[in-house]
Amino acid sequence: MPENELVEGLGLDEYQYGFVDEETHVFRTRPGLDEDIVREISEHKDEPEWMLEFRLKALKIYESKPMPTWGGDLSHLEATLDEIYFYVKPQEQMERSWDDVPDTIKNTFERLGIPEAEQKLLSGVGAQYESEMVYHSLKEEWSSKGVIFDSIEDGLKNHPDLFREHFATIIPAADNKFAALNSAVWSGGSFLYIPKGVQLDTPLQAYFRVNQERMGQFERTLIILDEGAQAHYIEGCTAPVYSTDSFHSGVIEIVLKKDSRFRYTTIQNWSNNMYNLVTQRAVVNENATMEWLDGNLGSKLTMKYPSCYLVGEGAHGEIMSIAYASDGQHQDTGGKVVHVAPNTTSSITSKSISKGTGRSSYRGLCKVYEGAYNARSNVECDALLINSTSRTDTYPYIEIEGKRATIGHEATVSKIGDTQLFYLMSRGLTKEEAMSLIVRGFIEPIAKQLPLEYAVELNRLIELEMEGSVG
Amino acid sequence: MADEGEGVSGDWVKVADLDECPPGSLLDLEAGEERIVLANVDGDLYALQNRCSHQDLPLSDGELDGDQLECLYHGARFDLCTGKAMGLPAITPVPTYAVELRGQDIYVKI
Amino acid sequence: MSNPAQAVEASSAEEEPSAEEDTPSSLDGGAVERLSEGAPSWLSERRQHAWSVFEDTPLPSTRSEEWRYTDVSRLLKFADLRVAPDGASGEEGTRPAGLTAAMDEDEAAAGHTVVVDGSVVHVDLDPALEQQGVILTSLRAAVHEHGDLLEEWLGTEILPPEDGKFQALNAALWSDGVLLYVPPNVKLDLPIRTTRWISHSGSAVFTRTLIVAEPGSQVSYVEELLSEDFDQRTLASSAVEIIARDGAQVQYVCIQRLGRGVFCQSAQRTLAHRDSKLDTLNVSLGASVTRLDLNARLLGPGAHSELLGLYFGDEDQHFDHCTSQDHIAPDTGSDLLYKGALDDRAQSAFRGMIRVHRGAQRTDAYQTNRNLLLSDDCRANSLPNLEIEADDVKCSHGATVGQLDSEALFYLLSRGLSRHQAERLVVLGFLGEVMARLPLGGVVKKVTRAIERKLKNG
Repeated sequence: MPENELVEGLGLDEYQYGFVDEETHVFRTRPGLDEDIVREISEHKDEPEWMLEFRLKALKIYESKPMPTWGGDLSHLEATLDEIYFYVKPQEQMERSWDDVPDTIKNTFERLGIPEAEQKLLSGVGAQYESEMVYHSLKEEWSSKGVIFDSIEDGLKNHPDLFREHFATIIPAADNKFAALNSAVWSGGSFLYIPKGVQLDTPLQAYFRVNQERMGQFERTLIILDEGAQAHYIEGCTAPVYSTDSFHSGVIEIVLKKDSRFRYTTIQNWSNNMYNLVTQRAVVNENATMEWLDGNLGSKLTMKYPSCYLVGEGAHGEIMSIAYASDGQHQDTGGKVVHVAPNTTSSITSKSISKGTGRSSYRGLCKVYEGAYNARSNVECDALLINSTSRTDTYPYIEIEGKRATIGHEATVSKIGDTQLFYLMSRGLTKEEAMSLIVRGFIEPIAKQLPLEYAVELNRLIELEMEGSVG
Repeated sequence: MADEGEGVSGDWVKVADLDECPPGSLLDLEAGEERIVLANVDGDLYALQNRCSHQDLPLSDGELDGDQLECLYHGARFDLCTGKAMGLPAITPVPTYAVELRGQDIYVKI
Repeated sequence: MSNPAQAVEASSAEEEPSAEEDTPSSLDGGAVERLSEGAPSWLSERRQHAWSVFEDTPLPSTRSEEWRYTDVSRLLKFADLRVAPDGASGEEGTRPAGLTAAMDEDEAAAGHTVVVDGSVVHVDLDPALEQQGVILTSLRAAVHEHGDLLEEWLGTEILPPEDGKFQALNAALWSDGVLLYVPPNVKLDLPIRTTRWISHSGSAVFTRTLIVAEPGSQVSYVEELLSEDFDQRTLASSAVEIIARDGAQVQYVCIQRLGRGVFCQSAQRTLAHRDSKLDTLNVSLGASVTRLDLNARLLGPGAHSELLGLYFGDEDQHFDHCTSQDHIAPDTGSDLLYKGALDDRAQSAFRGMIRVHRGAQRTDAYQTNRNLLLSDDCRANSLPNLEIEADDVKCSHGATVGQLDSEALFYLLSRGLSRHQAERLVVLGFLGEVMARLPLGGVVKKVTRAIERKLKNG
């Protein structure tokens, strides 16, 4: 296993993040979930009364909502919920200096290449291990300008008014069953505030790692960009391979004030036993722009539809999504755009690849309310099937009120063309190399938007995957 | 008491007895062609169209929270008095109806 | 071919017209029993079974995906409906003016049926075709004369009552319908035309259509649904089952011009076998609520189906079109084009599924839904879906929602047309594309006229 090396290519046959650390948590709730556990979590975090009440109310909502019957197959998860650990505290407190992070955890992240990445001029880094942020740092250059990049818990403690103003207003607990669950047991995640006019020129990065077997990780992130602010936030997720299920149910709320710009990039490469159910929503105000860049490479089942509510005039929302599903995987992903104000625009581009018995489904919404004059939206979803056993689905919802919108949606499904393959092979490439080239070309429009090391990672993944696919 | 529909013509129709809608409760009923949800907040009565503006689902399955109604299905919130959307995912308002209590009878203007 | 609008023939009489009732019957077990009187046991059993499926199936709710945009509980109350009185017992020689007018517009045909309030009141067929073994008859007659055919096909695998609450109700309470059977290699040059009329406000009319085209045969079937406007909710329920055997070619066209107040529910399933071509065109212009469930199955290699649809809504009309293209065998194709224009407060929901089953390699399947919105208060919902389990396929779908093409409008205005005339032309051009794909004798003209009438009223 290469150490202190940039993340290498990954192959699902040899998922390189699959290593397990010895469990050394300082506290862990008993398996399963009930009101006492929620209280314990809140107590450990020393939260104000209103947050405890919020959690308890959310727990009730979670218990009353049925499991969704659409999307992926959640029956196995449902059956093992009582065995999941909903909160695991890995160390006593969050550190701001990398040296102070306990060795075992430090080693894990070093194997994943984190400190390396930080050296590569990131604006700031957060690292979450199990249920808590273990490390958070922000370059002085930005903190002096008033940028706040903290763990979500510190956000609540240190900036209570700002926190309370926005928390759960974008995604209410009752939004869906897993938002309710997250609202009850959330732990770890980022709190980010960028003041007026401040524009970060390098990205902020957060890593999420799960080590505990049968773990539930419930990241909660709240991001607020003030007028004219700009930033890019990148999130990476991995976990060890177990035969039992784990699950990650995150909630990410974003507010973009007038004229701000924000990009949120996720490269999710959870192991194949992970259920990944995430609710992400951005409220985009006047002339602001939101970009979601979503890479779904891992997990057993991902259900994730980053959304943009375009509530201010001239707002723009964009979702670029790559999904890769191989044997035993189901990616049910896409995006939602909701046009509320006039002269708003949006686009959704989704590229998915299904290999072996993998299943990749696009699910999306384009909704235009009557007041959204001159709304323009375009959705394009393309699916590539590698094997005859692969599966793809497309489930878009287009709901338009009134005549002043121009909306287009297109989806295509295809396999790697024989003619294309033949041509490349006649130029000296092996079949695997040819397939790999074609697949890379297929995702190129989105892949080129990724930060370099992830683009490299993605290309390596494809190469390795194509090797396993021929025959 | 909910405010009167401004000069909107319509008929007053008895829709329920007061004891069918005790304080803190929501009641789903039909008045003519309208589907209405009645809310009783500490004795004050409100009537809204029983249809969430976010998705065609009944508001009467939801919950009262102060002067707002929260839809069960996705957490959309509406002001009981004006029907205005107060919390995502609600965007557009829900129509309201004037309500009057005459003795023990609840009347709604449709 | 004589104009059957003037003819007075009653349907083939095996059964006696039901006795005049003082109060029309509601939709209940008693109605099922009355319809079963004199029927063979296989049929009574099927009706009974369908009725119990109806009772056990809950009313579709907006909580279910398939009915998300159509709140049946608000739009239709089964308890208020009454079974339509027997149309066959109507006065001889009289036909509603609207019915005759529509039939007068029709062009030549190989045969006709006329259905009034769910009863076939007239059938005629070119004698030459009859000699070749073509069967065009009412279902009531067919129950006794062609029982084997019906027992095998009617409401069995193709459209079982378990498909849904409406399908079950129709299977229990259908009063009459049309059977069209075309023997191997017989080709009809002219279409068979059916005109269906509903007279009674507040009634429920249930009819079925069964078309069986044997290998190598060719037939077109055009039906038109009509009524006046009603102030009470009226239910027009249809079940259409079409089988095209190897190498057969079948075209089915339905022009729905029912009046206001009608809830028009239609369940259609088409089976296309090897090398067959089975195309449908559904034109929805009338009724207050239209719900269409169309499932096209491609069962044998070389099979191809075109699914065409056209809708134009104004005032508060509500359309809910739910289609599916099921590719089960390899080497099949399908192509769907549904286009609609909406004005005033009209609403449309389109849900189209392309399902390519495992092993259905070399499927070519396409689906396009285009919506033209003409007012600020109308609403279009479009859900084109794909479920693909074979890799060697070409599948795509597209959906658009937009307004009148301003360039086209500008061009026409600059040519001296009034705004109203220009808009009309653009709308006709937009919708016309669908009809141009299935130019069945007279249908294009008839539908264009109907659309123009609507535009004029706007």
